Amino acid sequence: MLPRSTTSLFCVLFQALSAVSQGLGEFETVSVGAPVNGDRFRIEGRAVVTDIKPHDWVSTARVLVEGEEDHVGFLKTDGSFAVNDVPSGSYVVEIVSPAYKFEPVRVDITSKGKMRARMVNFIKTSEVVRLPYPLQMRSSGPPNYFIKRETWGWTDFLMNPMVMMMVLPLLIIVLLPKVVNTSDPEMRREMEQSMNMLNPNPELPDVSEFMTKLFSTKGSGKSGSSIKAGKSGQLKRR
Amino acid sequence: MAAMVNWLVFLFGLVCLSAAVFEDQAGKFDWRQQYVGKVQFAYFDSQTQASKKLLVATEQNVIASLNSRNGDIIWRQVDKTGPEGHIDTFLVHGQDAITVSGNGRLLRSWETTIGGLNWETVLDTGSFQSAGFVGVQDSVKYVAILKKTAISLHYLSNGHQKWVESLLDSETVQYEVVYSGGSGLVSVLGVVPHSHLTITTYNLEDGKIMKQVSVEALWLESLKPGCAVVRDGVLVCADPASRSLYTLKLEEEHEQEMRQVLLQSLDVELSDGFQPHVLATQPSPAQHPNAEFFLQLGPDHHILLQLGDDAIAPLRDFQQALLVSFATTGEKTVAVVMSPKNETAYSINLFSADSGRRLLETTTTFNHDPSGGKPERLCVHAFLKKDDSVGYRVLVQTEDHALIFVQQPGRVLWIREEALAEVVTMEMVDLPLTGTQAELEGEFGKKAAIQDGLLGMVLKRLSSQLIVLQSWMAHLWKMFCDARQPRSLVKNEVTIETLARDEFNLQKMMVMVTASGKLFGIESSFGTILWKHFLQKVQPGSSFKLVVQRTTAHFPHPPQCTLIIKDKDTGLITLHVFNPIFGKRSHITPPSLGRPILQSLLLPLMDQDYAKVLLLIDNEYKVTAFPSTKRVLQQLQEMASSVFFYLVDSDQGKLSGFRLCRDLTTELIWEVVIPTEVQRIVAVKGKRANEHVHSQGRVMGDRSVLYKYLNPNLLAVVTESSDLHPERSFVGMYLIDGVTGRIIHEAVQRKARGPVYFVHSENWVVYQYWNTKSRRNEFSVLELYEGTEQYNSTAFSSLDRPLTPQVLQQSYIFPSTISQLEATITEKGITSRHLLVGLPSGAILSLPKMFLDPRRPEVPSEQSREENLIPYAPEIPIRSEWFINYNQTVSRAKGIYTAPSGLESTCLVVAYGLDIYQTRVYPSKQFDVLNDDYDYMLISSVLFGLVFATMISKRLAQVKLLNRAWR
Repeated sequence: MLPRSTTSLFCVLFQALSAVSQGLGEFETVSVGAPVNGDRFRIEGRAVVTDIKPHDWVSTARVLVEGEEDHVGFLKTDGSFAVNDVPSGSYVVEIVSPAYKFEPVRVDITSKGKMRARMVNFIKTSEVVRLPYPLQMRSSGPPNYFIKRETWGWTDFLMNPMVMMMVLPLLIIVLLPKVVNTSDPEMRREMEQSMNMLNPNPELPDVSEFMTKLFSTKGSGKSGSSIKAGKSGQLKRR
Repeated sequence: MAAMVNWLVFLFGLVCLSAAVFEDQAGKFDWRQQYVGKVQFAYFDSQTQASKKLLVATEQNVIASLNSRNGDIIWRQVDKTGPEGHIDTFLVHGQDAITVSGNGRLLRSWETTIGGLNWETVLDTGSFQSAGFVGVQDSVKYVAILKKTAISLHYLSNGHQKWVESLLDSETVQYEVVYSGGSGLVSVLGVVPHSHLTITTYNLEDGKIMKQVSVEALWLESLKPGCAVVRDGVLVCADPASRSLYTLKLEEEHEQEMRQVLLQSLDVELSDGFQPHVLATQPSPAQHPNAEFFLQLGPDHHILLQLGDDAIAPLRDFQQALLVSFATTGEKTVAVVMSPKNETAYSINLFSADSGRRLLETTTTFNHDPSGGKPERLCVHAFLKKDDSVGYRVLVQTEDHALIFVQQPGRVLWIREEALAEVVTMEMVDLPLTGTQAELEGEFGKKAAIQDGLLGMVLKRLSSQLIVLQSWMAHLWKMFCDARQPRSLVKNEVTIETLARDEFNLQKMMVMVTASGKLFGIESSFGTILWKHFLQKVQPGSSFKLVVQRTTAHFPHPPQCTLIIKDKDTGLITLHVFNPIFGKRSHITPPSLGRPILQSLLLPLMDQDYAKVLLLIDNEYKVTAFPSTKRVLQQLQEMASSVFFYLVDSDQGKLSGFRLCRDLTTELIWEVVIPTEVQRIVAVKGKRANEHVHSQGRVMGDRSVLYKYLNPNLLAVVTESSDLHPERSFVGMYLIDGVTGRIIHEAVQRKARGPVYFVHSENWVVYQYWNTKSRRNEFSVLELYEGTEQYNSTAFSSLDRPLTPQVLQQSYIFPSTISQLEATITEKGITSRHLLVGLPSGAILSLPKMFLDPRRPEVPSEQSREENLIPYAPEIPIRSEWFINYNQTVSRAKGIYTAPSGLESTCLVVAYGLDIYQTRVYPSKQFDVLNDDYDYMLISSVLFGLVFATMISKRLAQVKLLNRAWR
C-alpha cells in the first residue's frame, strides 16, 4: 500500500492564464497580418432553391469560403453572390443556411486569376470532377434535423416475434383438436403415447421432491425437532 | 459478405448512437437568444409614418434590423470578424442603407425589408476617412467616399463608380470631411495641422476641380469633432485654446480668412477642461444643413447656437444636458436634450430648433438603474401627430451596451442587453433549495441536535413534516387551479422569489461574464435574466476568470463566486466576490493584491464555512490565499508539499512546475523548454476538475480488461511550428505530467497547421487541425492505456508510476471547419461521451466519441464486433440529425459550456457567441427517466384490459365448471 500522503497527493491544474492567451493573440496577428502578395480575386455564383423565392431565405444565408470568417459573402436579393478579396489558392465554398441545404464546391484560383470549380472530395483530393463556374448552387431541400418518433401501430405489434411466438402455439392448441378427430380410439391412443413422450422421464427426480428432500435432511442435521417435519414431509409424499 | 457485415455494424452504430432531437421536443427545453453587439450606428426607418423598424450597425460587424415595438431582430447579417469586417460607416436615407466596411474596402447597399444585399462594390485600397450622401435637385442619387488619397462618387442604384479623383498633396494634408449641399458641388475639407485648411470643390458631374482654396489656420489640428458645416455651407470650428469659434464660407469665390467669434461675447461660461464638440444637422443631403448647432462646453453642458447672416446667436443654454441630438420630421427640426432628473431617472425634452423654445407636453421621464452606467448615445425618431404637434420615440444606449427604447410618456417599451453578445466566460450554479427543503435541512443542522434533546427533536421533526405536508397540499391546489384555467393563461414565469431547485436539478443558474464587465444571472430553463450587475471600473480588454468557491450545497451559507479580473496592461488583479443566485456583492473583503498575478488555482480544501480556497500566485512566485483565515493557513501548511501548479510562458516557450512551500512561497521543481525558434506553445489544458470516470478500463473481445491511464495531473500542450510554409509546418501535441514534468507522450502532425481545437478528458485527447497537404480538416485522437494490468488500482500517484502508458492514435477526415470543440459531461461518467462540435454555419454537432476511437479496426474481427467497434472509415460523417440545435444556429460560437445535471443521462449545454443557446443532450438516450413519448394510455389500457379479461374468464370458467358438474 502507498502511504496516505501519496493518496491525498493532488495537483490543481488550471487553464493557463494570460501568458498563453497573449501568445495566441500575437500569433493571430502574425498569420493574418502578413498579406499574401499578389492579386485578390472574386468568386461569383448563384444559389437557387427550387420553388422558393430568394426573398424568403437570403437574409439567413451566408457564403463561407473555407469555413472560416476570413472571407464572407452575402446573397443578393436575386440569389446571386460574390465573395471579394480572395487570394489565389484552393477553397471550399459553401452556402450556410439553417433552412436549406447546399452542397459545398471546391474552387481553385490560379495565381493569374483563372477559376475552376469542382466537386469536393476529401479522400481523393486531386480528383477533378468539373462543375460550372460561375458557381451554380442548387439546394437539395431543407435539411432533416429531426428523427421520427416510433409510433405504435397494430401491425408492429402483431409482427413482433414475441407476439408471433405466443399466438402461433395458441392457434395450434385451439385448432388442432378440431382438425384431428379425437373420438377415434386409435388416434387417442396414439396421442396418449405422444403425451407420455412429452412427460419427463419417471426415473428423474422431480424438482419439488428434490427440494423437500434437501431441506428435510438439512433440518434433521440441525435439530431433533425438525425430524418430525421431515417425517411428515415423507409421509406427505406417500 | 464481410463488407455487408461491416456495413451492418456501422449502421447499428449510427442508429444506436444518434442523439437526435425529436420534432415535438423543439423549443421544449431549449432556447436561443440572439444579439447584435454594441451599437455604433442606429437609424429609424422613417420611410412611412407607421414604420416600426430600426436599422443598426454594431461593433461586432453586424448589420441588423430591429422591430421597434418589441425589440426583436427582424433580420441580421453577420460579417467577418476583426478589422476586415469592421463597419466604418453606416448611412441611411429613405430606402437606401449603405455600409462601408473593412477600412473602406467594400461598399454595400442593403435591402432593408428582407435583409438581402442590393449590390456590393470593391473600393480601391486606401484608408477610409469619411462618406456622405450627395444629392442634387432634391433627390439623393450618389454616395461620396473620401479616402486618404482619393475621393470617389458612386451611384446609389447599382454601386457603379461615377468618377474617382486622387487628392492633391495627400501626404501632407489630412482630408477629413466631405460635404455637399445639393448644389451640384462636392467639397472636400482637409487640414495640415497647425498650418492651414484646404478646401477642394469638385463638379458633381465629371469630377473636375472647380476651385481650390487654402486658408490659414495655425490653431487647427483636426476637423473632428470640433468642426461642422452649417447653414449654406459655412464651416464652424471651435478652438479650445483661444476659446472662440471660427467661421468660414466654403462656397465663397475669393480668398478669405476665418472669422473669429469669442465665446465670451456670447455670454457663455466655460469650464476648464473645454473639449469642444460641434453637432450640426443636415436633414436631407440634397439641401443645406440647418443654421442651428449644438456646442458642447463641458461634460454636461451644451449650448444651442444659431448662425445668422453676420453673427452667432445663442438660442438656449443647457446646463444639465447629458446628451443632445437633433431630429427632423417633415419641415420641423427639433433639438432633443436628455438630462438627469434624479439618481434613477432621466428626462428628455424637445426644443424647437429655430427658436430654442421648449415644446409643450414633450417631456419624457424614464427610470434607469444607475448601476448600468450612464447613457452614451441617443437616437431619436420624431413624427408629426394628427394635431401637428411633434411626437417622438427614443433609443438610448448606456455604458453597459444596453439598448433602451422609450416611448412617450416615459414608457420603457423594451430593453436589449447587448453586452450578452460578448460572453467571455460562464459557470452554472445549482439553484438553492426551497424554503421547506431548507427547513428539513436545518433540522439536521450540526448544532441543533446537541441543544434540543430528544423531545425537542421529535417536536421539530413533526413540525417540519407538517410544513412539508402543507406545501404539498398547496402544490396540489395550485395544480388544480392551473388545470382549470385555459392553457394560454398559465405562465410558468420564473422570478427570483420562486427560484428553487427541481427534482432532477435540470434547472440551474447561468452566471455569465461579458467583455463589457457586466455580469448576468440567467435562469437556464427559460432564459430569463434574473439579475445583472455592471462593474464600472473594469478596463476594456481585461481578462476574466470565474470560480465557484462555495456551491449551494452548504446551507445556510450562501453560495459564493469569485470573479478574477485581470487588467490587460498592468496585470494587476481585482477580485469581485458575489452571490451567484442573487448577484449581490458579498460582504467578504477580498485581499488587496499589489503585484501582477500569474496564475490562480482553486484548491479542493475548504475553510470552516465550506468555501474552497483560492490561491493566487504573483510575479515573485509568492502565494496569496483567499479566504485566508488562520485555519486555512494551517491546513495549507500541512498540505503544502502536495500542492503543485504550473506556469506557461509562451514567449520564451517555457513550461514550469512549482510546489508550494510551508511558508507560502514556492519552489521550482521542473521546467520544460520548447524552443520558440521551432515551435510555440499555443494552448495548455488540464482535465476538468468535476469530471468523473466510471469505468477504469475497457472489456475487450477476449474478456480481458484494458485499463485506462487516468492521470488527473496530465497536461495537454499544443504547439504550432513557427515556420508557416505548408510543406514544413507542423502541429505538436505533448502530454506532460503536471507534478513531475515528465513528458508522457509526444505526437507530431506534419504538414499541418492550426488553429488547433482540442478536448482533454478521461484518458483521451481529441484534437483538430488543418492538413496543409490535402487541404482538409482532420481529427486525431490519442488514447492512453496502462495495459491489461493496473500498477496500483487504489490510488494514482504521479511520483510512483514506473510504466509508461500505451498510446493509441488514429486520425480521421472531418468534412468541415470547426469553430468550437467541447465534450459532454455527466454526473457520474457512466453515460457515453459525445463531442460537441461547433460548426461555422452555427450548428452544433453532437459527435459520438465512439467514432473517434483509436481501436476502430480496419478489418473487423469477431472480437472487435463483440466490442461494438465500428470498422475504420476515413471520413467522419456530418448528419443534420446530429445537430442538437436544429435550425437555431449560434453565430460565431465562442464557447460551449457543458455541465452535469442531477440525471446521469442528461448533460446541460450552453453555446455562446453572438447568440446564446441552451439545451440538454442525452448521449446515451434517456435511460433513467421515462421518455417524453412514453405511452401511458397504452400501458394503462392494456393493464385494465388484462384485469377485465381475467375477471370475465374467471366467471366463465366457474360457469363451465358448474355445467360440467350438472352433467
